[in-house]
Amino acid sequence: MTPPPGPLRVNGRPADLTGMPDSERLLDTLRWRLALKGTKEGCRTGDCGACTVLVDGRSTLSCLTLTREVDGSDVTTIDGAADDAEIARVSRAFAAAGALQCGYCTPGFVVALAGLLKERGSSAPVEELLDGLQGNLCRCTGYAAIVRGVALARAEAP
Amino acid sequence: MTGFELLVPASVEEAVAALRAGAADPPAVIAGGTDLLLDIDDGRVDPRRVLSLRRLPWRSLDWTDGALTVGSTLPLRSLEDDPEVRRRLPGLWQAVHAVGSVALRHRATLGGNLGRAAPASDLVPMLLALDAEVDLVGPRGDRRLSVDAFVRASRRTALLPDELIRSVRIPESRPSAYLWQRVRPANDISQIAVGVAFSPRERRWSVAVGGMPPRPALLAEVAHDLGDATPDDGVLRAAAVRASRAVSITSDQRASEEYRRRLVATLLLRAVRAVPLDGEGRP
Amino acid sequence: MSVAARSDLEVKLAGRAEYGADLELPGMLWGALVPSPVAHGKIRHVDLGGARALPGVVAVGADDLATLLPRGQGDAERPIFPADEVAYRNQPLAAVAAPTLAEARRAAAAVRVDIEPLPALVDLESEFPDWPGPDAARSPHIITHVHARHGDLEEAFRTADHVVEETYRTSSVHHVALEPHACVASVVGDRWTVRTTTQTPFGIREDLSLLLGVPEASVVVEGTWVGGGFGGKGASLLEPYALLLSRAAGRPVRLALDYRQEFELGRTTLPAVIRLATAVKAGRIVGRRVRLLLDTGSSLPGRDWSTGYSIGFLLGPYTTAAFEVEGYGVRTNKPAFGPHRAPFAPQCAFAVESHLGEVARVAGIDPVRFRADHLWRDGDTTPMGQAVGPFGLGAALAAATAVADRWRAEAPADHGVGIGLGFWSTGTGAGGEARLVLTPTELRVEQGEREIGSGSVQRGLVAVAERALGLPPERIRVDYLSTADAPFDSGVFGSRTVGALGRAVVEAATALRADLAARSGVAARDVSLAVEAGEIVCRSPNGRRTVRSLLTAEEASRGIVASGRHFAKSNTIDERRVVAGSFYPFTDFTGAAHVAEVSVDRETGAVRVERYAAFQDIGTVVDPATARGQVEGGIAMGLGIALTEEALWSDDGRLLNPHLLDYRIPTLGEVPAPEVTFVEGFPGAGPFGAKGLGEPPIIPVPATVAAAVRDACGAHVTELPLSAERVARTLKLL
Repeated sequence: MTPPPGPLRVNGRPADLTGMPDSERLLDTLRWRLALKGTKEGCRTGDCGACTVLVDGRSTLSCLTLTREVDGSDVTTIDGAADDAEIARVSRAFAAAGALQCGYCTPGFVVALAGLLKERGSSAPVEELLDGLQGNLCRCTGYAAIVRGVALARAEAP
Repeated sequence: MTGFELLVPASVEEAVAALRAGAADPPAVIAGGTDLLLDIDDGRVDPRRVLSLRRLPWRSLDWTDGALTVGSTLPLRSLEDDPEVRRRLPGLWQAVHAVGSVALRHRATLGGNLGRAAPASDLVPMLLALDAEVDLVGPRGDRRLSVDAFVRASRRTALLPDELIRSVRIPESRPSAYLWQRVRPANDISQIAVGVAFSPRERRWSVAVGGMPPRPALLAEVAHDLGDATPDDGVLRAAAVRASRAVSITSDQRASEEYRRRLVATLLLRAVRAVPLDGEGRP
Repeated sequence: MSVAARSDLEVKLAGRAEYGADLELPGMLWGALVPSPVAHGKIRHVDLGGARALPGVVAVGADDLATLLPRGQGDAERPIFPADEVAYRNQPLAAVAAPTLAEARRAAAAVRVDIEPLPALVDLESEFPDWPGPDAARSPHIITHVHARHGDLEEAFRTADHVVEETYRTSSVHHVALEPHACVASVVGDRWTVRTTTQTPFGIREDLSLLLGVPEASVVVEGTWVGGGFGGKGASLLEPYALLLSRAAGRPVRLALDYRQEFELGRTTLPAVIRLATAVKAGRIVGRRVRLLLDTGSSLPGRDWSTGYSIGFLLGPYTTAAFEVEGYGVRTNKPAFGPHRAPFAPQCAFAVESHLGEVARVAGIDPVRFRADHLWRDGDTTPMGQAVGPFGLGAALAAATAVADRWRAEAPADHGVGIGLGFWSTGTGAGGEARLVLTPTELRVEQGEREIGSGSVQRGLVAVAERALGLPPERIRVDYLSTADAPFDSGVFGSRTVGALGRAVVEAATALRADLAARSGVAARDVSLAVEAGEIVCRSPNGRRTVRSLLTAEEASRGIVASGRHFAKSNTIDERRVVAGSFYPFTDFTGAAHVAEVSVDRETGAVRVERYAAFQDIGTVVDPATARGQVEGGIAMGLGIALTEEALWSDDGRLLNPHLLDYRIPTLGEVPAPEVTFVEGFPGAGPFGAKGLGEPPIIPVPATVAAAVRDACGAHVTELPLSAERVARTLKLL
């Protein structure tokens, strides 16, 4: 029998989920319960990637995740960028590459790429990183600047 | 959506008991949730209770005697990351890789994909071609069904309301390939997908076609036509034509029937050619 | 030239930029709309009783307008809720607000709607399978008729060596800004305030004033960061409902679309049928006939701008001896036609370019040379009689041709290379004003636009001010003010920000320089600004003085203020050529020549874009990184129109693919990194000769891809998008 999960931690801090309905999505918990609006709501159908967060270091669509289902996990969002070395590094690379315009898809892209780098390491072929970002939609940049940002982030990873 | 209570049993026995107790109004079962939650949002289902499998010891992957057993709650991404899967079951790797995005595959599971029986599943056709089996647990004990017997139709399976999918078993390593066509290559639903595999033990092909409602189909006669080795070009072309005629296909907004039939032939041809067998038909 | 990064990167990368979708006010209610279940029908009754019976719910409908609006009604032609007839499916019939979103949705579902369905017109060709005959004007479905002609067209067609007639069909495409529409409204007393994600705060204010029957001075529109606009956030959509709900509730109300509604309610480019006929004699175009049947959705008669605007793109950018152009706007049961990045111009360019390629083939002339021979040049007049002015499209085409020749020589057998052209007119919009405020340590640009992503405000206006005054960009800040505090500006659309508001910044900079010169006792040209020891200093032959020391006592708290305004001068068309309706006068022509290399799967028809290059007439590059981003983004959006994007409707007016799974915008895997080249030296009316760039890069894309597909496999596809199945059909594989 597996032990019950502990509390949810968001960006390193335990989250107060008192009174939360079981049906609540992680996206809504973050944005409206914990007032962490850095994670963006796009399609809510898992097709745009704007709501991507890390759950125990793995990129996850927060719109299609029940908060209760990730009890006991560490959730990292763009709001915790300063505390997560990988997210911070990707953010710097995106800034240097000018890899964003309106910025609405940006938290999802940054977190998704940080997750890929955590999973695969910086020695992963750039093609694999780009393939892993096809679930993140951007309507402004045409992806060209994002691709430059991915190359920069990979080059700067330890 | 009116909201639901989440049941999180700590053991298989507890889970089965919870299903039995609620038999009159069975709870929806959630594995990764990437498909169920969409249905809840769209109002296609509105469960009072949802049963979570997260505490069950089913996030497993095991190779024994050449057979692969995948626990039903193992995220697809973990399956994809197993180097043996990619080497020994290339078609399965390709099919898993074709599902959604990385972030989706971090939560989506093989058990969930089978249990939800989505008509356009990218996994079911390949599982069919690999002669995969589903292991179920329930109050009357365990039972094993072929994927072909398990998936009945769109959104319909042989799973009883008090049963759960424990694991999926693929009996042997097989040279295999999974090819699909989509309107948009990434993150789309396949207009047609073809999975082919060659059994070295039985020296036979299997062929399955997906991407067409109501469910993916095994094409046994076409597989038989392919013979017991790499077919020559004429045999392959004839089989491809037969395949395109054999399947039951309808038109929808993703593709017309006639275009789908053409894709069946083209993709079958390419998939068989993509399976690496040596001249004697051994992998 | 500056290579400064835009200063909104940091706040956006930290997740701290507040978008409309993020807005939240203490005590606010959540709103929801009550959609019409049919596309067309007569409203018998909308019963809000079920919603109002729920705890904490406020509901408003057509019957409440008289009591909620100060004058009892707003725009009589455009009531906020229809009282009699439904014009499209999901049209809001009422709105509700509740303490939570879930409660609001339940309340919306509790509203009982009784509508007598009427026949819906969805597919314009079901009503007009052929070109409408002489009775068209009497059809209740035709709301616009435009018609112009010049020269002896009959003679041209009679004596031509070749006549080519073709029909093209184009699809409806959506904006797909990742951020859905969202706003928070708060009505207190007679002050109607709304914070919203918008391209046009002043446009919304004007619209709200009319719709609500409230003076403009009582309406305050405050923008937010905008998560993508593309034309979709250029008019009021949710704001009137949210304001009414707030008025009724006495509390702030948040109203946002979910992504399905984003598709269902968005006003965008709708389908069209384009019939083109061209007569050629001795290698020259001697006559062109252009006919457009445009789905205008539920646009109201007299309010359809789209037909007369769009049709101009079917005449250019080529000369012809004689022409006739005629268009009908057809009212259908869909949301009204609305602007989508270069509205309808990419579709027109697709038709015109593909058609002239076919004409050239029939006439036995190289298609690129054929188009080059007929391109407008500075000094030409357009078919509608407008002066062309400096126009870099010919130079762009020459450069593109060289690249295309090289790519074609290198390309494998299953690849093809194509060139497409497109033109655009910048300098639209009523105009705008900007204020510069010079403090001892920084220059602020006070203005009323919002940054929608392109960087034209956040970086473009800074770059203009930088160039005009010589201050480093880190000392220049753009201030976003609400309509209560900002000087008027018509907003972010029409590629006008740098060109028009940028000109206002230059005017303000000139005034500021004159002011500083007067204070220093020198001529304006002898004044320059610099930063020394952290202070902004004003240098002149009389020495240098800190700005701090130049401030009067009244200016001490704010700074030195200078204003500038720019209202684009309007161009005119030759009205003698107009037979009926009104045509949009283009100003300040710009254009682009694009090159694509594609591979085509000969067995499935699947198209993959392998390489892409853009040559863009820009006048002057104001900021290279921002400019490049606009071209890269425009190309990707254009590739969606070319290959995968298409809204589909059922016969009863239901959108069949209102989600991002089946409405397919390009992902990172489908867009090659384009080569971008700017063609300078053909100055426009913007600052330093700049021309607008927001829209021009999208225009040639579908045409370019179609030309490359034809080159690769011979498929001459006359319908958008060029899906694999459509290409396979054209290749007679089916």
